[in-house]
Amino acid sequence: MAKKVKEVKKEKEEKEGFFGKLKEIAYGMSAHDMSRYALRTRASMEHLFILITMGDLLGIPILPPYYSLRLLPYVVPNIATWKRRMLREKDVSDAMF
Amino acid sequence: MLLREAFEKDNERKYIMFGGKGGLGKTTFSAATAFWLAQQGHKVLLFSVDPQASLSDIFKQDIFGKGAVKIMENLYAQEIDADSHIRRYQDEIRKKIRDMYGIDQVPEEIEHYIQAASAEPAMEESAIFDAVVDIVVGGDYDFYIYDLVPLGHALYYLSMAKVYDEWINRITKLRQEMREQEVMVARIKREKITEEDQILTELEYIKNRINQSSSILTDRKKTAFYFVVVPEEMIILDTAKAAQLFAKFDVPLAGYVVNRVLPAELAGQNIPPYLQNRLKMQNRYLEEIDKTFGAQVVGRVPELERDVTGLPMIEKLAGIMFGNGKA
Repeated sequence: MAKKVKEVKKEKEEKEGFFGKLKEIAYGMSAHDMSRYALRTRASMEHLFILITMGDLLGIPILPPYYSLRLLPYVVPNIATWKRRMLREKDVSDAMF
Repeated sequence: MLLREAFEKDNERKYIMFGGKGGLGKTTFSAATAFWLAQQGHKVLLFSVDPQASLSDIFKQDIFGKGAVKIMENLYAQEIDADSHIRRYQDEIRKKIRDMYGIDQVPEEIEHYIQAASAEPAMEESAIFDAVVDIVVGGDYDFYIYDLVPLGHALYYLSMAKVYDEWINRITKLRQEMREQEVMVARIKREKITEEDQILTELEYIKNRINQSSSILTDRKKTAFYFVVVPEEMIILDTAKAAQLFAKFDVPLAGYVVNRVLPAELAGQNIPPYLQNRLKMQNRYLEEIDKTFGAQVVGRVPELERDVTGLPMIEKLAGIMFGNGKA
């Protein structure tokens, strides 16, 4: 008897797991676009932010170097992609991605 | 003397600045004021933000870049060495980068940037600005006396607080918007919200420092700004112009001190025509000064028989500026 109860419970869990996953997929599909869009906005802002604070890297001194150095450590990983983005020429791929 | 009255009446006064064209006696007056205040039993720090500072010369003691050096009882003087300040700061940034990313060496591109940023002229000014905030915020002294650089620089220095403030406000706003996007993504993806934005924290810190400094500079109760003038046409005109500009930045103008006044008793003596002419010209300009600046003229200081360097001469000048009695 005790064994049977356990099996039923297990079955139920599996069922929930299945629907749960289905729900996740449906949610993920709709959320994916939204989050991708938000992430892109976030990335553009990040690049704008680095431009304002670290403009000197491209030869555009914007303002006060003493304090922009203070922020430098935090943007180190982003600098390579940022430079590429700022300096690249526009092409067809811009419309695609 | 009027200058002394002002100090005795305004007992909240804490920050004193002397400004004016180069070579008129800003450093001399700063030193004499610091000396007098120290004599009255106040703890005073006299400091210079001028890269070609002359406090070492006036006290006949090398104090450049040595922090606050004790000159006599209650009197300390400091000359900020911007270059070494910047070098120390660069090292801190490098170390922070190495520690944050666990690397032995700062990436080449970043290193280039650190060096390029430090070579800019604005670097020195903003570094000095920051060093001054450090000093003033410390609050260890009863009086802080700024020996300001000549007018143009002083204006730049004062306006910087305003510009910085706006700049920081804007990027803080951008950063906050970025943060909102981040939080939104985390919510959509049902992830945990990442730890607080460190850049935002840094920006808040910078903003705070700038605000502290600009609020001190424009505080009418605590801060007094004096212009040094001499009885000469060009100086009077330039000073009047500068005063208008300063007013735009809300600098609390406390008055004008006239320096290098030829002693009036000379007129009764048998003096050569050259000196007679100088005296006549000077009287005309003294009238002009009284007319232009009116009741804001707080003192006249005579041309002394020799340079003001070394403590005995500074004491003599302090006696002339403030009278010899106790406050």
